Amino acid sequence: MKTLVGTLAFAVLAACVLLAVPDAQAAKKIKVGIVDCYSGPPSTYTNDVRDAFALAVKKINAQGGVLGREIEFVTRDSKFKVDIGLAAAKELVMREDVDILMGTINSALALAVADLAKTEKIPFLATFAKSDKITGEKGNRYTFSMNENTAMIGKAAAVGLAKLPYTRYWIAGDDYEYGHAIAEGVWNHLKLLKPEVQLLGQSWWKVGEPDFTPYITAMLAEKPDAVIVATGGRGCVPFLKTAQATGFNKQVPFYMHTATELSTLKPLGTDAPEGVIGTANYHSHYPDTEANRAFVAEFEQAYGRTPAAGALYGYITAQFITKAYQKAGKVDTEKFIDALEGLSVDSPIGEVTVRAEDHQVMLPMFMGVTKKAPGEETLTATDIVVIPAAELMPSAEEIKKSRAK
Amino acid sequence: MEFLSSLTLSVFCIQVLVGLSKATILFIVASGLTLILGVLRIPNLAHGSLYMIGAFTTYTVAVYFGQSSAGFWLALLLAPLAVALIGLAMERGLFRFLYQRDHMMLLLFTFSFALVFGDLVKMIWGSDYRSLSVPEVFQGSFSLLGTPFPRYNLFLLCLGPLFAFGLWFFTRRTKLGKISRAAAVDREMVGAVGINVNLIYSAVFVLGCYLAGIGGALVAPTQNITQGMDQSIIIEIFLIVIIGGLGNVWGALLGALIFGLTDAIGILLAPQFAIVFPYVAVIFVLLFRPQGLLKSVW
Repeated sequence: MKTLVGTLAFAVLAACVLLAVPDAQAAKKIKVGIVDCYSGPPSTYTNDVRDAFALAVKKINAQGGVLGREIEFVTRDSKFKVDIGLAAAKELVMREDVDILMGTINSALALAVADLAKTEKIPFLATFAKSDKITGEKGNRYTFSMNENTAMIGKAAAVGLAKLPYTRYWIAGDDYEYGHAIAEGVWNHLKLLKPEVQLLGQSWWKVGEPDFTPYITAMLAEKPDAVIVATGGRGCVPFLKTAQATGFNKQVPFYMHTATELSTLKPLGTDAPEGVIGTANYHSHYPDTEANRAFVAEFEQAYGRTPAAGALYGYITAQFITKAYQKAGKVDTEKFIDALEGLSVDSPIGEVTVRAEDHQVMLPMFMGVTKKAPGEETLTATDIVVIPAAELMPSAEEIKKSRAK
Repeated sequence: MEFLSSLTLSVFCIQVLVGLSKATILFIVASGLTLILGVLRIPNLAHGSLYMIGAFTTYTVAVYFGQSSAGFWLALLLAPLAVALIGLAMERGLFRFLYQRDHMMLLLFTFSFALVFGDLVKMIWGSDYRSLSVPEVFQGSFSLLGTPFPRYNLFLLCLGPLFAFGLWFFTRRTKLGKISRAAAVDREMVGAVGINVNLIYSAVFVLGCYLAGIGGALVAPTQNITQGMDQSIIIEIFLIVIIGGLGNVWGALLGALIFGLTDAIGILLAPQFAIVFPYVAVIFVLLFRPQGLLKSVW
């Protein structure tokens, strides 16, 4: 009896091993594993990344793929948690045997995955996580950032705000890494560009604060010339809503990153306040070029909605992957990384480049003001000023210094 | 009061009003929680979820009627009723079998409900942000010496006393209210005099859920309607119910006022550290009156 059990066990084991051998077809694909938050409010942003990536991949595959191979991708939900996301990333590397890791809107998770990428020697293309540590002090050979970071946002806002006549500022924001990083970035650069600025005070609220009325009344009492609002994701929409209800924007001008961006403005409809100063990497109506119009049309046809910033990140990520493999000439991680360094692609917003020194994609920033357009269902950004990437990026020297720390 | 110039006095007054309107919502939702806790002895962790469902249902109904003002008023009527129906199903379907069980068991059951409701909301409404317009009459704000106060908040302020009076009337003047107070103290005795305790329990549970639903409906035009609303309110209302005295509706009112006002005034006085003010108030209350400010029925 014992031998029978043993034989059966062996047979089962053997079957498992045999079944686990990947079939030849699968080995011929380039596999991308995306870990991101698809549950909860952040999915408003991350769905666009995934969908635009899928759109680009479909097009590439239709044209015969890369180096004769198709690109395929699998996704895992991080639930906005570092431990869950990191476990998923490990699973993608070990079980799914992916060639590239991608994703995460959560900065803390992006940093954790970047570490994993370094130890596992697998490329990681971060999309939407905005901590400047990803390509700054914690940057490594295997990690790339496909979107703007807090340092770039800070510089862009400072360049724009310095041109305006305000001197007495108030800072308010989400009491966590992103909020403080944005506020510091804007403020430090603004002080350099315009030394006479004065900080009257700051207010910080908990992430996900539902009611901003008391904060707004208190800020009005201090009579600042302008307010820097450092709130992201969950805070932007309700803040703008309260600003509209209290008439805050009519009394005090304020700046908020992504305030002019579609993801933020769309849920508000025409309930959003006018005259809010915002910065964003992407607008579906700007720049009004052939390439952007074609991209918007393509995305709208596929998904029935207008692409927001996340769509740009997803789309260029697919473009960069394809072009880097083509340049490398074979599917090899080290060659892929060498190829990606300094690589440029033609994106919907023009040519964009991955800087070789720090693996940060060089995206321009668009600073605009919210405005109601007749007949439109949502507000749009007008008076857009383009701040080129070269003016926003920390110098290669600064990166070197921060990484040496 | 010399240090307050006329201008800062106006800011202070507005801020008090802002705090009071926040307290109104907290009171409405917390009173439902404390009723259920007092009479049925259920620490209902799903109360925040019912509030969230109230907000989402309000959104759906209002959008169905084209986001018009009439649509919102209709939603204000229908959404809490829908939540009350869910409450009825919960109580008849499950909780009535569990009254003899340990409180820990009930707590776990309601916690499971909170998780299930969270997922259901995600399945039905997705994870996008939803936003609803304030009805036309309440759009914009009026200003007191230059400090704006949203009109809608004024509407909320008027509702606060109305609900407080309504609940007072229910518990003190109606037969059902009196019986439910008696049932809170001694369930067996009430049953022994020939009153259908099950019916009382159902009615109170449904009323509590209705209050959660109307709270959600009322905040719908002022906030993001999104997942996670349940978690942000459940902690606040539980603290309110605890500092007010478990099961005491007046305690809930007092707790909500303390919470709303310390929050608003804290933001005015020390905006950097405003987050902690209501919690410091809770700690103080519990240090001096661990049983809560008013009489607890537990």
